[in-house]
Amino acid sequence: MKRAILSCSGMDKQMGSLARELAIRLNEKTGDEIVCPTLLASIPARYEELLKAASLIVIDGCNTRCASKLANRCNAKVERKILVSEAARDLGIDPESGLTPGPNGLKLVAQLLQDVERDLGEEASSGSSVMELAPPEDFLIVTHDKYQFKIPKEGFLFNENDSWARAFGAKARVGVSDYVQQKLTDITYFEPPALNADVEQFGELGTIESTKSLLEIVSPVTGKVTAINLELTDNPGLINEDPYGAGWIAEVELTDLESDKELLLDGEAYAEIVKRKAAEDAG
Amino acid sequence: MSETTFMGVPREKIPWYPTIDYDKCNFCMECDKFCPHQVYEHREGDKKLVVANPNNCVVFCRACGKTCGPDAISFPSKSEILTLIKNLRTEEMVG
Repeated sequence: MKRAILSCSGMDKQMGSLARELAIRLNEKTGDEIVCPTLLASIPARYEELLKAASLIVIDGCNTRCASKLANRCNAKVERKILVSEAARDLGIDPESGLTPGPNGLKLVAQLLQDVERDLGEEASSGSSVMELAPPEDFLIVTHDKYQFKIPKEGFLFNENDSWARAFGAKARVGVSDYVQQKLTDITYFEPPALNADVEQFGELGTIESTKSLLEIVSPVTGKVTAINLELTDNPGLINEDPYGAGWIAEVELTDLESDKELLLDGEAYAEIVKRKAAEDAG
Repeated sequence: MSETTFMGVPREKIPWYPTIDYDKCNFCMECDKFCPHQVYEHREGDKKLVVANPNNCVVFCRACGKTCGPDAISFPSKSEILTLIKNLRTEEMVG
């Protein structure tokens, strides 16, 4: 699929100016068209055709995430998001203040450019070798008003943050529950965790965003991320359609499942949590 | 909400909630608009936003922080809170 780049305008804060700088360099490297955020906001028709044909690399400067919000508002397909302020923190780089990028800022941009080029290359070439797991058959059903929340009876372990783990061999597949996908409503974006990253139980395994909200995926297990569900990049709605099957998030090579289990719930126990949460949601 | 628990531990024993850095906060109120649990409340005066109901905060949720433009919201370390929760659970079982 064709790609285009949408970034922060870079006129408000230093992180924004670095987002803009990254967009320009990415354009120089890849030739992908840059979408001007101001023009898109004022005359959306200018980019209508492009946004139908292309998926976006969205580059936000700060957590206000104007570029992401703009992409969302235009119903654009998003392939990849970069948040410069977060990356600066993760990489331990402290960019100079002011709107003209200084040496540290440019170092950060160079690093991000390298990362995004590598990731886009890997995604294009990665052959998925993920094991087929039979879909769960027996469900507990928690009913609240007009809502029904399904919870697999067997084989799935949950944490109270609405993530599940399904162990097979030395690994576990991880995802989010039917309850939380319904609460989020239509999921529009999946930000995957880093492949090969070490994750602690209750650590972050990426985020998912819906038109309504944002969820940090809280890992049910400790281990190393060995696979990511790349289908979700093109179709994050799979999490809504099939949260316990095709909408899985990642696979983790387990460090110590027995120890993780101490803080995990079986289907029955999680059903009690869902009952409580659904009652609280209703107010 | 005072009867709620997280992993069997009474919620009020778990110090997980956001802290606002008032040197950075610009009172855009995005975090308050985002959070469905009424953790934040508006006030008159210098501190127009406060963490009024820390125990309403969902343990290990940091989503409001991801909406904060000036990056003024911080949370405790997850691993420290986890250790505390494990210790409290042991105590509950013994007690």
